[in-house]
Amino acid sequence: MNHQNVVMQIIELVTPIAEGRVAQITENTELTGQLALDSLKVMDLVVAVEDRFDISVPINALADVRTVGDFALLIEKCAGGSA
Amino acid sequence: MKENSRLRAVQAVREELAALGIDPFGVTIDRILSPTEGLIGGRPTILAGTNNYLGLTFDPACIAAARTALETSGTGTTGSRMANGSYAAHRELEVELARFYDKRDAIVFSTGYQANLGMISALAGPGDTVMIDADSHASIYDGCRLAGANTIRFRHNDPADLAKRMRRLGAEASDVLIVLEGVYSMLGDRAPLREFVAVKQQYGATLLVDEAHSMGVLGEKGRGVSEEAGVLADVDYIVGTFSKSLGNTGGFCVGDSADMDLLRYASRPYVFTASLAPATIAATRQALRILAGADDLRQRLRDNAERLHGGLAALGFRLGAPANAVVAVLAGGKIEALRFWDHLLKQGIYVNLMVPPATPGDESLLRCSVSAAHTPQQIDAICAAFASWKGATSQ
Repeated sequence: MNHQNVVMQIIELVTPIAEGRVAQITENTELTGQLALDSLKVMDLVVAVEDRFDISVPINALADVRTVGDFALLIEKCAGGSA
Repeated sequence: MKENSRLRAVQAVREELAALGIDPFGVTIDRILSPTEGLIGGRPTILAGTNNYLGLTFDPACIAAARTALETSGTGTTGSRMANGSYAAHRELEVELARFYDKRDAIVFSTGYQANLGMISALAGPGDTVMIDADSHASIYDGCRLAGANTIRFRHNDPADLAKRMRRLGAEASDVLIVLEGVYSMLGDRAPLREFVAVKQQYGATLLVDEAHSMGVLGEKGRGVSEEAGVLADVDYIVGTFSKSLGNTGGFCVGDSADMDLLRYASRPYVFTASLAPATIAATRQALRILAGADDLRQRLRDNAERLHGGLAALGFRLGAPANAVVAVLAGGKIEALRFWDHLLKQGIYVNLMVPPATPGDESLLRCSVSAAHTPQQIDAICAAFASWKGATSQ
């Protein structure tokens, strides 16, 4: 699983949820900070990601996710079967 | 200690409410008059947000049992059952609960919240996986946190989504603990338990169902959605509460596992909490006897639920689920719902205001809970108060 590709797919999924709060979403963009996603929006994003990658993301693992890049690393870990 | 940003966030919400002059989360019932009436702010008020489904809080036999226990066994146990000993009545209630559900054994907890915390954290631990419905009660989420287990949410009431996530786990799926609720407290909707049981059986997983809002309400003998769906024997653990249909406080779990007695030793919320007071145990035992034979009460509850649900639907309100003891009105944004809730209170009707993120989705709810003790006239008065809201016809 290519990291940059995962990042691009997250950006694609988070863009409609973020409702234009940040003009240019990158790997370093903060999900709850800069994008101001509330808990419901975060869960919407998680569900979209789970469907896209055919994985399940444990909610306890989300505590360490701050940025788009952090989320990409978690997805890669889940897809590898070690989450 | 540094500035606590979490408390400042709570403060901001409190100040928002104060600016509106409405405080839905600080209501005081100055005097409770009956299972369905109280004095709030000097005004006689119909209570339609109590979870007192069978109306047993003033039952004379329950009160007499509590009074006798109070006088013979004292006001409290002053300690946990593990460290300070059980009273005989604690164990007798467990035996009666197990018999009622036709299960091997039962464990009594000090609250329903602790029953979920205690069971989930005793059954699962770090490295284990718990699958929970996305709309689960806070006690289930908190139980998973206490367990330290990997916690995976599946779409609300969607057995196919659960099956998909079980498939992803491969060989580990048989070790999963699946946690469901019989009736979900916010919208009052029921789990499709038969379909969920099929998934659990396909993968050989363990199933725990919280019947807090369905005990005494659904099923031929009041044993909840598990009984109604005909899967009582297939559910490994049933969790419930004394604080709704049984009109008291406390919680329990029943199950067929040979490890039931070991689970209490592994359950910190069981070990490190004072046990229920003698009067509570005595009244609950009496209420359980009533509940088991309460066909008439269940019929009155069903009639009242259908009367309220039908009345509100006829007024054009959007409702959360088919008629059940919980009737939730979808009430739009938070501020609009607050004003609506306040209007109802001024009309002498108390319901529960629920706002996101406690609600599913991003809409607020005016949640009514129906009691067998409501009279048809009280149900009509609740409908009339809803009808008097200026936005009623535009809902």
